[in-house]
Amino acid sequence: MTELTITALPAAPIHVFEIWSNAADVAQRFEAASGFALPAIGRSSGTNALTLIRYEPTVWLVEGDVSGLSEVLGEDGALTAIGGGIVRVLLKGQGWRTLLMEGGVFDAESPNFSIGCSAATTIDHVNVRLHVLSETSCLAYVPLSYSAGLIHFWEEAARDL
Amino acid sequence: MMQISCPHCGPRAQNEFVYERTIDSVVALDAAPEEAMKTLFTRNNPRGVDEEIWRHTYGCRAWMVITRHRVTNEISAVRAVGPEALP
Amino acid sequence: MINFTFDGKAYEAQEGDTLAAALLRNGIGLVGRSFKYHRPRGIMTAGVEEPNALVTVGEGGRAEPNTRATDVFVYEGLVAKSQNRWPSLSFDMGAVLGLAAPIFSAGFYYKTFFGSAKRWMFYEYFIRKAAGLGDAPTETDPDRFSQRAAFCDVLVVGAGPAGLSAALEAAEAGKRVILVEQDSILGASLIRDPQEQDEAWIDATAEKICAAGGRILTRTTASGYWEHDLVTLTQRIAEPGQVPPNGVAQRLWHVRAGEVILATGSIERPMAFANNDAPGVMLSQAVRTYARRFGVVPGKRIAIATNNDDAYKTAEALRDAGAEIVVILDARPTSAGADSGFHVHNGVPLSVTGAKHGLKSVSALVNGETKSWNVDLLAVSGGFTPVVHLHMQAGGTLDWNEEAQAFVPAISRQKVKTIGGAANPEPIFTVAPVSNPKKSFVDFQNDVTLADVDLAWAEGYRSVEHLKRYTTLGMATDQGKLSNMAALGRLSEKQGVAVPEAGLTTFRPPYTPVTMGLLAGAGARDAGAPTRRLALFDIHQAESPIWQPLGYWFRPRAYPKGRETLAQAALREAQAVRTTVGMTDVSTLAKFEVSGPDAAAFLEIICATTVNKLAVGRGRYTFMLREDGFVFDDGTVWRLAEHRYLLTSSTGGADRMATHLSYVRNYLCPHLRVSVVNVQEHYAGIAVAGPKASAVLQAMIGEYPPRHMSTVPAAIGVTPVIVLAASYSGERAFELYVEASHAATVWAACEAEVMARNGSLYGLEAMEFLRIEKGHLVVGGEIDGRLTPHDLALDKMLNKAGGYIGASGLSRSALSEPGRKQLVGLEALEGTIPEGSMLIRLEGEAPQGHVTAAAFRIIEGGSIALGQLVDGFARHGEELIATSPTRNQRARVRVVHPHFYDEAGERYRD
Repeated sequence: MTELTITALPAAPIHVFEIWSNAADVAQRFEAASGFALPAIGRSSGTNALTLIRYEPTVWLVEGDVSGLSEVLGEDGALTAIGGGIVRVLLKGQGWRTLLMEGGVFDAESPNFSIGCSAATTIDHVNVRLHVLSETSCLAYVPLSYSAGLIHFWEEAARDL
Repeated sequence: MMQISCPHCGPRAQNEFVYERTIDSVVALDAAPEEAMKTLFTRNNPRGVDEEIWRHTYGCRAWMVITRHRVTNEISAVRAVGPEALP
Repeated sequence: MINFTFDGKAYEAQEGDTLAAALLRNGIGLVGRSFKYHRPRGIMTAGVEEPNALVTVGEGGRAEPNTRATDVFVYEGLVAKSQNRWPSLSFDMGAVLGLAAPIFSAGFYYKTFFGSAKRWMFYEYFIRKAAGLGDAPTETDPDRFSQRAAFCDVLVVGAGPAGLSAALEAAEAGKRVILVEQDSILGASLIRDPQEQDEAWIDATAEKICAAGGRILTRTTASGYWEHDLVTLTQRIAEPGQVPPNGVAQRLWHVRAGEVILATGSIERPMAFANNDAPGVMLSQAVRTYARRFGVVPGKRIAIATNNDDAYKTAEALRDAGAEIVVILDARPTSAGADSGFHVHNGVPLSVTGAKHGLKSVSALVNGETKSWNVDLLAVSGGFTPVVHLHMQAGGTLDWNEEAQAFVPAISRQKVKTIGGAANPEPIFTVAPVSNPKKSFVDFQNDVTLADVDLAWAEGYRSVEHLKRYTTLGMATDQGKLSNMAALGRLSEKQGVAVPEAGLTTFRPPYTPVTMGLLAGAGARDAGAPTRRLALFDIHQAESPIWQPLGYWFRPRAYPKGRETLAQAALREAQAVRTTVGMTDVSTLAKFEVSGPDAAAFLEIICATTVNKLAVGRGRYTFMLREDGFVFDDGTVWRLAEHRYLLTSSTGGADRMATHLSYVRNYLCPHLRVSVVNVQEHYAGIAVAGPKASAVLQAMIGEYPPRHMSTVPAAIGVTPVIVLAASYSGERAFELYVEASHAATVWAACEAEVMARNGSLYGLEAMEFLRIEKGHLVVGGEIDGRLTPHDLALDKMLNKAGGYIGASGLSRSALSEPGRKQLVGLEALEGTIPEGSMLIRLEGEAPQGHVTAAAFRIIEGGSIALGQLVDGFARHGEELIATSPTRNQRARVRVVHPHFYDEAGERYRD
């Protein structure tokens, strides 16, 4: 049996950062303000205080302190809070890749899905967003209403990986 | 279950996608009533290649146009549509 | 030694035995009764193609009927039962039917039961009892079934010499490899015909594949080949009926492969002769497998019938094991086996006679004469049918191999190739059967004989597809793995054409039977889909509500006190709202934040009402049309800030609305400067309604709450909330939106204030009472996708400037012509209006409408309803009958205005 823990983390501020115009300018302003570039699709970047994960072409999921981001966006985008509807579930241990194949359709076992990578997919019919933290940990962003069911599904699956 | 190459995410399972409609049934916002109804109700249904609008709903949520052979399911082209985005 | 039972009797098996091997080891030749004629049947094969030896394995919820005894490995305590026999296997009443076999010929059901349905009803009971396979278990399966995805560059199906080599080559080339084998051990034909060093080679190869990162799955069958090289694998973690070690009995793999290599080998064919279905007639390779792999020789005096070289290996294996090879009947006219050292005759078997567990004799036509030998076992080899199922499922075509008299894989549009025996079957020499066709079985599992094929032909069934359906040939659990080629041979003979011209039925998934639980996976335990839980689930649960499914959600329907019924509780809750104050959870409503300079422009496209005149801090009711002009959803739109709006819409339509908004925003209007974010789950929603709602709000937010259809940002303690003054109930009411993670505090604060004013929680049922009395619409009820804004009396709210989706469709004249159904209220003159009843003028006349929702006046009592009625607006005052024939309920009703309560809308304001 593979060592694996499944933990729902405490609620945290999570925002949608969406750009609708002048994306290149926004990207420049962002880098100037935060010291790192906006991540490409399927990737994340950030600091301890602020992480941006890009799941969509024009949308970044922001975890952490968003002060200053409204100014970065200006009239070219908007920031919207979504954290209340998301449960962050930490999958910790060697077996997280195998676990994500249970009820899944996404190749979480691919070596290309490495630290800093992100992907949105469905697991047991639930739309989840994955973010690889390390070789032994992955963070899943799960819709609140489905989280109890999915955590139960994962706990059962983890017993027999 | 097909595999669709999302222009943003690469090859993904069909489960992550939702079909919308064929491009010939897109009703433009400024279409005249008669034209709009013709688009909506008088459509092609080819036994062969068609251009379909799909959305990677459970992935990157982006829209795309897929050129698919409706008998063999061969997908010969996929192109992204939607607002301009950073690479 | 492993202990197992068969039909209640205890036996012993050896480690690694299949159930079939163990039964043969114990001298059991009679294993089942045939489908139609209840003929005694034994074990014919050593693989998944077994048509006869079907047994029920396991007990209770784990019982698995129709399991092939050749495809289950014996474990300690295995319980197996024979099927389709009564009262016992050896004395079966149904076998009496066998004497009348001709009446069950091809098309028997169609002929006998054509015409009178009553006759069929009478016969069906007896036929269902007599004809059939095992019984489905009635208890719930206690085990779990896993479904797992996998990806690889190369998937190799079959771990014989060809498959093992291919997998090794791919793995050593650095590819991600999965190798699957349906058997419990690797080797396939190498197990049956081991050469020196074979075992070591198999082990070493497997080790190298794993060392190179490859994955090997045994007891795993590639059962389906789908689009774009998706292959489904069914893996037995526990054997049928066995208690699984970790609770998971089987796993269904969805493997997306870059390339699929099929090394699936071939299946040996039987031969057609009289009584060829008797216990003691077995396939040659199967006999060899039992002798060499399991050390079981199922006969002492053995005859072999063949049309190829392979069966001579069987003769050698049996001789080596100490059995006597009485005769080899070789169909080939050349002196094929002349120097084999066995008694070889050129001939084919005519018939066998049998005892219960084996044969007595075999007769054959040799040089024009009938000869007979006393034997207890006949091993037959009628050639080899390549396993092309997966290739064909992949959309591949087949070529005819004349030498082997077999179909072999040709081309496919998918990335699949076939190697090994499946691509290169052994040459054979076929001779048309000369035996009595009525006793010569083609399809053993379905009891189809050569005579049945002939009869179907005589009755005009020309196509192989018709032949299959008329005779049931090739159906049931073995799907014609043994029978297809024999039937095709006979059909082509009749047609006077070559076999490939006679055609072939299509192979469809699954290759071997798959249990239903495996397909259901985790969904077997609940509704088949995950359910959605409210953020405030724990708080509601503490009140023991009656839960109501609503789409994937579960919401409290009512909170009964003491011994209250649902109706009593709902009425009490609704009365609280009308007289004091009530609160309810409205978190499931669809909610979207729409931001940006073009937010109003976007909403004017989505909503059929005006939006751009809305002042900051104000909101209004709105509805949305499909492109064809019909109403499909409704909700409210609020201007929270200069460039920020909140749009709410129905719970049930939430996902549809999310897609609609995304389509319009991204596909139709990519240029708009707007961000549309789904915040359905971000905000939990609490509705507070009733004459004392304002007081509750004031106590909570510390200021006088906003007037009707206004919104303010506020705080309860330190928790920010959005207060919307909106009413669904008809009373002064508010909706509080709070980040779901803080919802519990706000709910508690609210509940304290509500209870302090003699208020109540209320659920969906009370909400329904309230909105019906008020005449408010619900999506899925009145808004059923078939009514226009005109029909729902919403036309006065339409945006006169147009430009919204559906404006074109709505402009069609037919959508405003008379004769359309329109929204009406109904009040009962006599009786209670049945939910969902039809509206008629006179008994026997066609319905003119229907009831969409029925309730009671909350304070005064009396049955009321909303409905759709042809030309309803003009018919106020008319009397109709609301009738529900299926429930045998009816009421006399009067058509009225659909607002039963506070028509002037004065109670919204205070």
